[in-house]
Amino acid sequence: MTRSGSQTRFRRQLRQTLTIGRRDFVATVFTPIFLLFLFAPLIMSSFGAIGGLGAANAADGSSDKQRMVLVMPVAEARLVRAADDQLRDTFSRDAAPPAIVVVTDPVAPRGQLARRDLDVSAVMQGPLDRPAIFFAPGGRRDARYLAALADVALRRHATGEARVSTPVLEQVRVAIPSLGGRKTSAFFAVFGIFFLTLFLSGQVVGTMAEERNNKVIEVLAAAVPLESVFLGKLLGMFGVAVLFVGFWGTVISQIGQFLPADLGAQAAQLVPAVGLGWFVLLFAAYFTTAYLLLGAVFLGVGAQASTMREIQMLSLPITVLQVGMFGLASAAASHPGTWIATAAELFPLSSPFAMAGHAANRPELWPHVAALAWQLLWVTIFITVGARLFRRGVLQSASSKPVWRQLFGR
Amino acid sequence: MAGDWAVTAEGLVKRFGERRVVDGVDLSVPAGAIYGVLGPNGAGKTTTLRMLLGIIEPDEGHRTLLGHAQPQDASDEVGYLPEERGLYPAMKAREAIAFMGALRGLDWRTGRTRAGEMLEAAGLGHAADEKIRKLSKGMAQLVQLLGSVVHQPKLIVLDEPFSGLDPVNQERLERLIVAERDRGATILFSTHIMAHAQRLCDRLAVIAGGKRRFEGTVEEARALLPQQVHYVPHHPGPDIAHALPADARADGDGWRFTLPADGIEQTLKHLIDAGYGISGLSIERPGLHEAFVRIVGADAAEAAR
Repeated sequence: MTRSGSQTRFRRQLRQTLTIGRRDFVATVFTPIFLLFLFAPLIMSSFGAIGGLGAANAADGSSDKQRMVLVMPVAEARLVRAADDQLRDTFSRDAAPPAIVVVTDPVAPRGQLARRDLDVSAVMQGPLDRPAIFFAPGGRRDARYLAALADVALRRHATGEARVSTPVLEQVRVAIPSLGGRKTSAFFAVFGIFFLTLFLSGQVVGTMAEERNNKVIEVLAAAVPLESVFLGKLLGMFGVAVLFVGFWGTVISQIGQFLPADLGAQAAQLVPAVGLGWFVLLFAAYFTTAYLLLGAVFLGVGAQASTMREIQMLSLPITVLQVGMFGLASAAASHPGTWIATAAELFPLSSPFAMAGHAANRPELWPHVAALAWQLLWVTIFITVGARLFRRGVLQSASSKPVWRQLFGR
Repeated sequence: MAGDWAVTAEGLVKRFGERRVVDGVDLSVPAGAIYGVLGPNGAGKTTTLRMLLGIIEPDEGHRTLLGHAQPQDASDEVGYLPEERGLYPAMKAREAIAFMGALRGLDWRTGRTRAGEMLEAAGLGHAADEKIRKLSKGMAQLVQLLGSVVHQPKLIVLDEPFSGLDPVNQERLERLIVAERDRGATILFSTHIMAHAQRLCDRLAVIAGGKRRFEGTVEEARALLPQQVHYVPHHPGPDIAHALPADARADGDGWRFTLPADGIEQTLKHLIDAGYGISGLSIERPGLHEAFVRIVGADAAEAAR
């Protein structure tokens, strides 16, 4: 072959290659969903930020309300506070003991440990030379700090002979879980459901594509209501998710036996307000509704996709939605009773996450009955809307465009 | 079932955008009949069938399916073969048939048993446990057809059932349709192949441009055109055309013309008197194809080919 001949062939192949490349580039870039891909790094950053914020919120929220209580007359309490001012500076900010609250009324000191408004780690009562110090599980260090405060206060203000404080320390079983434990439980509940749904519910998005590609959808649509088709597919995939969770749950529970013992002690601090039994049941129920809610939305949206490319591109907005719900619910878990918590509990897609956190923070059970009914109502609504959009947009005719193409004119 | 109608439709309208794809179609399908919906491509046949089955909702009009205003209420008594065939490729043939039966309320065990028997009868017994993806297109189509009748429905709706089948399987399908009718089922099918419709249909409707152009029996459709005379002279001559009716046209050795309204006798007498004689003479009824061309127009009929 001559040199000019090989050059011509090279140019032709280059042109053909570029033609293919141009088509793929245009087909991918000139779609609305591509914008979401473009901002993927931002989304991933917010993923980390929201996750970290949620954890920090849980930690900060619990330390904000941690206190030590002095049940003693004002004069003695003032001495202890002065000693506290002196000793507190020796601790770094993170290691500092909780702030001190003074109760001058002669109340039962053990009752202070069960306060609902504060997370009381230790209570000191009695004269400074023989104080009785009661502490909750995990509050031994704070109890010793109170003992040290009593001793310092006594020494600084002693007149005449030197006096020594001889405290009596007693650990008390607290009937209600600590605020910190509840909040940590709440965050782990939210994160647990988020983690599971992130892994599992996204699979639903492509399930209708099979029926669309192999034309089985026409047979299904003629035989059963589309709502049943959607719900059936959702339940089928949920069965897969349950199998997945069951398998890994079993594996992890077996591995747990080989983990360090203090990990178990730390886990014991995760005591939800409704009690462990109810909490496990509610966690399972909210995982179910979270899966069904997100799955119904993803199924409805994914059913509009006609190509694998569209399905793949949908995975990103799906992740964004899940991260958003996680962020909202983790904020709700760390601020129970606030407007943001109420909003997260009412908004259908964040409701299961937020209510799992609610179960950890609040002991009442009736809100969960209402919440589950509310969430199931929205599952029904999402499935109905998804099926109707599918009927109107996809089944109408072979040439029909998906909803987003109708919206964006592509 | 209300009255003796398996399917009724009154003023069905479907719009896709600005276009009225189905424009006021009326249908009445007698119970126990084989009813054909004929029309050129894009006439609105499939859309009409999909509206009847409730896959899509009409924009206007009403329909009943086996006496039910909501097609889904009759779902278990209906079998449907869509125009775009579709099966799960990973399913075995027997399972695919049983699955389609299960969708219509047939229990799996019975479905599997019947599937085996039906596949055997259709000559596909060897493929009962083959996956659909391993079957030829024609075999897969036959599996889907069997799946649409495995639950022994009262109404069978077949959208272009003959397309994609070889002549042997087309004949097999014709036999199956007749057998289902003899079992007592009503068969409603769409086609643009006139030969099948002419052989099978008890009644038919012709749809073109979204409107129903004709409804009646095959004979009534054929009667829309006058009978044709095929005449072969014994002694052909150059001026013979003057002795024939004005619409006569040469056809091989003979001539073809419309049967005169007052009969053939006067024309024959004139030909014999003129010395042309008669070598052959037949009076023919036009076929469904000619009737179809007349009903939908030549251009649309060409599109249907």
